[in-house]
Amino acid sequence: MLTVTNLHKTYRLGRVSVPVLRGVNLSVREGEFVAILGSSGSGKSTLLHLVGGLDRPDEAPPAVIEFDGRAITRFSAGQLDQYRRRDVGFVFQFYHLLPELTVLQNVVIAAMVRHGMGYTGASAKVREDARGLLDHMGLSHRLDHRPAELSGGERQRVAIARSLINSPRMLLADEPTGNLDHETGAKVLDMLLAIRRDRRQTMLVVTHDQETAGRADRVVRITDGTIE
Amino acid sequence: MYQWLLVRKYLFSKIMPLLAALAVVLCTAMVLVTWSVMGGFLDMFIRSGRTVTGDVAIAWPNVGFPYADELVAKLKADPMIAGATPMIESFGLLGLPDGQNKMVIVRGIDPKTYSEVTAYNDILWWKPITTPLEKDVTHEDPRLNPGLRDAMEFYQQGGKTLMRVDARSGDAKPAIVLGIEASGFNWRMEEGFYKPQQYVKRAADGSEVLVDGFLPRDGEVVLSVLPLSRKGGVIAQRSMKMPVANEFQSGLFEADEKVVFVRLDVLQEMLEMQKARRVVDTAGATAPGEEGESPAYGQVAATVEDPSRVTQVLVRGKGDLGSLGAAVPLKERVEEIYREFAKAHKGEVPGASTIQIMTWEDQNRTMIAAVQKETGLLLFLFSLISLVAVFLVLAIFWSMIAEKTKDIGIVRALGAGRLGVAGVWVGYGLAIGVVGAVLGGVAAYFIVHNINPIHDWIGTITQKITGNRMLIWDPRIYYFSVIPNRVDPQKAVIVLVGGILSSAIGAIIPAWRAAAMHPVKALRFE
Repeated sequence: MLTVTNLHKTYRLGRVSVPVLRGVNLSVREGEFVAILGSSGSGKSTLLHLVGGLDRPDEAPPAVIEFDGRAITRFSAGQLDQYRRRDVGFVFQFYHLLPELTVLQNVVIAAMVRHGMGYTGASAKVREDARGLLDHMGLSHRLDHRPAELSGGERQRVAIARSLINSPRMLLADEPTGNLDHETGAKVLDMLLAIRRDRRQTMLVVTHDQETAGRADRVVRITDGTIE
Repeated sequence: MYQWLLVRKYLFSKIMPLLAALAVVLCTAMVLVTWSVMGGFLDMFIRSGRTVTGDVAIAWPNVGFPYADELVAKLKADPMIAGATPMIESFGLLGLPDGQNKMVIVRGIDPKTYSEVTAYNDILWWKPITTPLEKDVTHEDPRLNPGLRDAMEFYQQGGKTLMRVDARSGDAKPAIVLGIEASGFNWRMEEGFYKPQQYVKRAADGSEVLVDGFLPRDGEVVLSVLPLSRKGGVIAQRSMKMPVANEFQSGLFEADEKVVFVRLDVLQEMLEMQKARRVVDTAGATAPGEEGESPAYGQVAATVEDPSRVTQVLVRGKGDLGSLGAAVPLKERVEEIYREFAKAHKGEVPGASTIQIMTWEDQNRTMIAAVQKETGLLLFLFSLISLVAVFLVLAIFWSMIAEKTKDIGIVRALGAGRLGVAGVWVGYGLAIGVVGAVLGGVAAYFIVHNINPIHDWIGTITQKITGNRMLIWDPRIYYFSVIPNRVDPQKAVIVLVGGILSSAIGAIIPAWRAAAMHPVKALRFE
């Protein structure tokens, strides 16, 4: 489903070039749960951003990221936007919910972005799906609350619901338990595993936590921008 | 769709967008109030311009033209024309009772037909009134005095007929109506009415005495004019002592200071433009008594009938035919009628191509254009100041976008494109513009509608605090006793749309900045 070949990424900090990824190769099969394990600064989040179409790799040496046979590295900006809308869902370490929106609106907005002007026709179903997802996450009593009124675990569950509302082919999670205490983190991880099981959801999860990585189908270690 | 959700949520979530909306409110209200008041002032001024001129004037200054009655009859028969009246306009010298002399424009009119064409009867100042002027809270206007009611009716009647009836003999004598500012004896008060003042008169023995300056009571003036021959030469000076029947206020300072009215037949006689027999010789026409043009010795002299002459015929259009910008078709019709008239009297009246036919706008063009330019300039300056709103929205949005950087990263991660993100901020600017412009429009309506009470309140407060009453709109200067207080819906729409667009324009650069943000950098922003 996903093939990454010879991926390089260098950031410039003033006059200094900082290479973050140095020729990463990776493949993920459909329905597979792959954990990318690495220490802080190893380039794992950068890899996730590149795979998710949020950033572009270095032009040289040429890199290829293929998703379902399509080279997203050759996508235009508009095609990358569409790719993020339809094919991937993100879960971030710091949840990244919109503070002014309610729980339900935070989930629905992802569908609004996806459907654009066509959302009006789909709104009833989207709202029903969003309620269903939030109910599944145990948040049906929190629909009208704002993120500031939720605990960390609840916020991350909202973020997971948002990532799933468009039924993406691949879920990309960046340290999904990294900001939670052990018990809450374990619950969130259980939830992700349940989703993976129920939906046969392809998941690429970046973590520095051995326990999280240990529950994945496959663990890929990244050190200093290269896959071991 | 998500754009409107975010706009709605952002709009009332922070104080900053409300500040931006407040800037739009203030600028919208400021421009609309200025435009409404100045536009209202211009409207009042323009309406005043029609009060003494009619809609279209046919003019052949100084020497005049004959057969005006026939022309008036032809004009009145036309379906576009409501009325027409002959008039003589000439320069004159007004000798006032305090010994001063001043140049005036003398208008000889037939009061009956002149009032059908102009607002002459309405502009006569001294008449009984029952309702005080809006600003006259003290009710000191002499016209309101019930004890002077009969006298005021007498002055009104005198003004309407331009005759003064002697109370003792019952004889009627031709009288004059002066512009209210012509004598300088009438002081315009803060409340908008006139209070006649006393003036110093030098007696025969050289002593000075104070005399009541209310001229319609028993005041007399001396009017001097210079009759011209048909060739334009001065014949002789003619003077006539006349009682003052009344005074008028048209709202046009030029007219109120310089114009005086007398009867048409009186002025015709003074200017030797009346119907008369003229002596002619075999060589050609001459005017009686004109120097160097008397019949030469030995030539056979004869007399011919010389019809009376006027210098103008004023025309009033039916309905709105004479209103601002609409008098041109009426003028064209008058030109056609005059063409036929000139054809019938070829050689006796000025040709259709040489006669002056002007709308009231043409006649008052200089003054109207000045006020229009003043209004335009003021509006331009205020609009320029309103650009502050654009920059304020820009500055506020710029800082809000810094605050909302993470939100931008989130929606980009969800798949929103650059244009979509820009749309959030432009839409946000539009929403602030709509809120600000609507509230500004409401504020402007409230201010303009209550501008006179607000003005009076400011005056009262300043008097209490400083001891001096602050008058921004001083009726002693501005001629209209009240500030125009009507908001033109068309102007309101233009200003409101302007306010909305200003806000949207102010949001464009910050929106571009938001759209240009790199999603990963935005997500990592702390």
